[in-house]
Amino acid sequence: MGFLAPWFLAGLVAVGLPVWLHLLRKHKATPVPFSSLMFFERRAQSSLKHRRLRYLILFALRALLFALLALAFAHPYLQRTLLPASRSGEVTVFAIDNSLSMRAAGLLDEARKQAKSEVAGLRPGQRAQVLAFASRVEVLSEVTDGRAALEAALDALRPSDGRTSFAELSRSLGSIAQSLHLPLRVLLYSDMQQTGMPANFNDLRLNGDIRLEPHPLISKQTPNFTVENVVAPRRVYSGAKTRVLATIAGFGTAKAVRNVSLVLNGRVIESKAVTVPESGRAAVEFNSLEVPYGRNQGAVKIDSADALAGDDTFYFSVERADPRHALFVHDAGNTRDLPYFKAALEATGQSAFAIDPAAADQTANVAPSQYAFVVISDVGSLPGTFEKSLRAYVRDGGAVLIALGHSSMGRAKVPLADLAIQGARYAGREGDLFQSAAALDPSHPSIQQNNRWDDVKFYQAIRVDPAGARIVARLTDETPLLMDEQLGAGHILVFASTLDNVANDFPVHASFVPFIGQTANYLGRLDAGPSAVTVGSFEELREAGRKAAAVDVLDPKGERVFSLAKASTAQNIQFTMDGFYDIRRPNGRNELVAVNADRRESDLAPASPEALRLWQNTASGVAASGQAASERSRRSLWWYVMLAVLGCALTESWLGNRHLSVDKEAP
Amino acid sequence: MLQRFLDPATLNSIAGLDLIAKTVVDGFVAGLHRSPDFGFSQEFAEYRAYAQGDDLRHVDWNVFARTGRCYLKRYRGETNTQLLVLLDTSASMGYGSHAVNKLDYARFLAASLCYLANVQRDAAGLIVFDEDVTNYVAPSSRQGQLFRLLHAIERAQTGTRTDFTKPFVHFQNFLHRRGMVVVISDFYEDPAVIVKTVEPLRFRGNEVILFHLLDPQEIAPKFREPVLLVDMENSRAAMEVSPEYARHEYRTKIDAHIEALRSQARGAGMDYFLVDTGRPLDEGLREYLSVRRGML
Repeated sequence: MGFLAPWFLAGLVAVGLPVWLHLLRKHKATPVPFSSLMFFERRAQSSLKHRRLRYLILFALRALLFALLALAFAHPYLQRTLLPASRSGEVTVFAIDNSLSMRAAGLLDEARKQAKSEVAGLRPGQRAQVLAFASRVEVLSEVTDGRAALEAALDALRPSDGRTSFAELSRSLGSIAQSLHLPLRVLLYSDMQQTGMPANFNDLRLNGDIRLEPHPLISKQTPNFTVENVVAPRRVYSGAKTRVLATIAGFGTAKAVRNVSLVLNGRVIESKAVTVPESGRAAVEFNSLEVPYGRNQGAVKIDSADALAGDDTFYFSVERADPRHALFVHDAGNTRDLPYFKAALEATGQSAFAIDPAAADQTANVAPSQYAFVVISDVGSLPGTFEKSLRAYVRDGGAVLIALGHSSMGRAKVPLADLAIQGARYAGREGDLFQSAAALDPSHPSIQQNNRWDDVKFYQAIRVDPAGARIVARLTDETPLLMDEQLGAGHILVFASTLDNVANDFPVHASFVPFIGQTANYLGRLDAGPSAVTVGSFEELREAGRKAAAVDVLDPKGERVFSLAKASTAQNIQFTMDGFYDIRRPNGRNELVAVNADRRESDLAPASPEALRLWQNTASGVAASGQAASERSRRSLWWYVMLAVLGCALTESWLGNRHLSVDKEAP
Repeated sequence: MLQRFLDPATLNSIAGLDLIAKTVVDGFVAGLHRSPDFGFSQEFAEYRAYAQGDDLRHVDWNVFARTGRCYLKRYRGETNTQLLVLLDTSASMGYGSHAVNKLDYARFLAASLCYLANVQRDAAGLIVFDEDVTNYVAPSSRQGQLFRLLHAIERAQTGTRTDFTKPFVHFQNFLHRRGMVVVISDFYEDPAVIVKTVEPLRFRGNEVILFHLLDPQEIAPKFREPVLLVDMENSRAAMEVSPEYARHEYRTKIDAHIEALRSQARGAGMDYFLVDTGRPLDEGLREYLSVRRGML
């Protein structure tokens, strides 16, 4: 028998209260004068003795009540040694870590071996299940008492490139216990990486009917080098040499010199020796990357000569393409805005787009679908055929930027967008000399990274009824300045002023360049994502709700990820192994995605034994005894003590009332 | 209601026994009491047949004229009587469970009776006793008698134990004239002994009235817990008493004692009144007077 809170036993001192009340206090009998004792007899003493006895029973009850209360607060429990068979229907779960770090020094084989020896030790009829876990939990076998099935599941266990997540394991174990309605004995085989522990320890909480027995496969940190990160452009549009920056990290390592190589499409481009400080990081810069046309597989490798080879290569993809063309439509007489737009686009440093200017009256035979996006700059009228084809282009996913100026005043509506033009706002001598941008929506991709338009002066703006369009920017007089309207699958961005320096001085401000650059990327759907992602991340394959032709995805082994049926419906894909995923979309937007294992797996430092004990204690508060054949179970006696307290209190109340029934009439 | 009931505690707050007595008796003097003797005075009582030797002046000649027989007219005589109050001041009379102890109550009662007698021009006297006679005021209806009585009552203090035998032998020497004897005591003695001791007073033609004064706590004691009781008349006698005993056995005994005293006193031709000192004084007095109508 033990106590969860033994310090509450100090409350036993309270037993002294009835002792004082009954045994000490009653001796102070005060003599009371009475007129005559002729009607009292000595026989009265027998009644007194009887009464004393009853008081003694009351005293014993009160003392017992206080003692039981102190006992209840101390939370007593009975520790019993139970044979495993006494936990009826207990299911043994073999949870084996198959994260990237388990590839080191044959840890996975060791885990498999230990698990098999446990399987061999299972009693006939004892049921078990095999789980593999990394960032996700994979059920390798059903709950079965067949050893052959369990051993087959263990044989089928393969290493993954995922990251250890003990929190995910705890959640899954909870779900399994809940669905089985049976107690679980979980044998956990893992390298117990510290990085696998969640930030919030509460995520590790186990149900009360789960008994966790961790089997750490390593006891101290194994030195490990890794290529932690590579910074490389995702796309290049010229043949110039490109810079690649790699970070080499050592975990638990001594200071060492390592050879780092830059590889492109399997060919080593350049190698460098780098000195990595003790358990530190070093940066390596390559400036010799010449990217050929097409999608290229790049990698940075290190000759780590350590136990974990899976993190010695960092993949990245780089695509070289010619610049995409964008159509710039303007009035024949207006040639001021094109230079500003073009100069701004070139100033962004990326030559992803080539501008094709065209006068509005010459666009009748132009097919907009050839262009990444179209700019219509303060145009009075457009040929009907062009406007029609432009509308179809937007509906199919194209994008148009429309700038409004005095030429637009001749129209009742904004071209394509069908937003009503209500009039022009001119700044003059009377009233405000100019307007400025008052409210910007920084969540819009056009102004996401640079939304400082404070000093830009707008002298003229066209007031447009925004209807259902998203207003991205407003002027100080609430005139919508930048609006984004969805039309079909495409976007129409309406700028209520011109792109030259007549109606505003925006083109001569620094904020004009990022605005044009971001707007071009947004309209041309040129995402500036990283050149590599981590295992476990997702990629969108098609827009939600749109069914289209099949998306073909090849994994790093060159195998198709989806079946034919699923390829036409899958909305996204989760990358489960490191290497290159080849995504081929029906609209021609093909992609080569470089996937790398989470580098937190490279830190092989195990979690402290205290942390593991705490994790075990989240279930039943009992530390598992490892290989012990029997278990020790605690049976709380709190309820029984409280029932005894209740019984004592009721009896004391009844007995006390009986005494008081005599006394209450007394003065 | 003609008379309000007076709480003993209220009376206790009034300074001076004369004022207390006046307050209590106020309202009772409206009626007259009658003499136990028949006389020839104004108030007609009955007819009696003429006997030889009767004074012919009392013959009712009208009756003789109508019936031819001689009848004498008898009249009820109004005379003054003598009141003697015997006040017990033994130590047990000092007991009281509330503001007024038994002796105080007895003082109020004695003072009220003396005042009542004085108002009616009756001779009143007082004997204060415990185990012996401690004070004596001879019955008289002279001017200032009331103040002598009240002064003696005022001076009465609790003494030693009660012994009826010794003082009652003396009382018989003091009583020379028929009248009324009022004994105010708690009567902690065997009823047979009490009656036997007091009975001789009755033989001399006196009306004897026993006022048995008991505290509410003596009639029905209530204790919260066992108590150590010390006898007020004998401080060496102490006894631990349980509330149950006091609640049951004691009450049986005291009730039996009261009943025995009542029956034996009445058997001996004496009037008996149990007075609870927790009750208003004038309430008890009114009850007594309603029973004793015409006697005082």
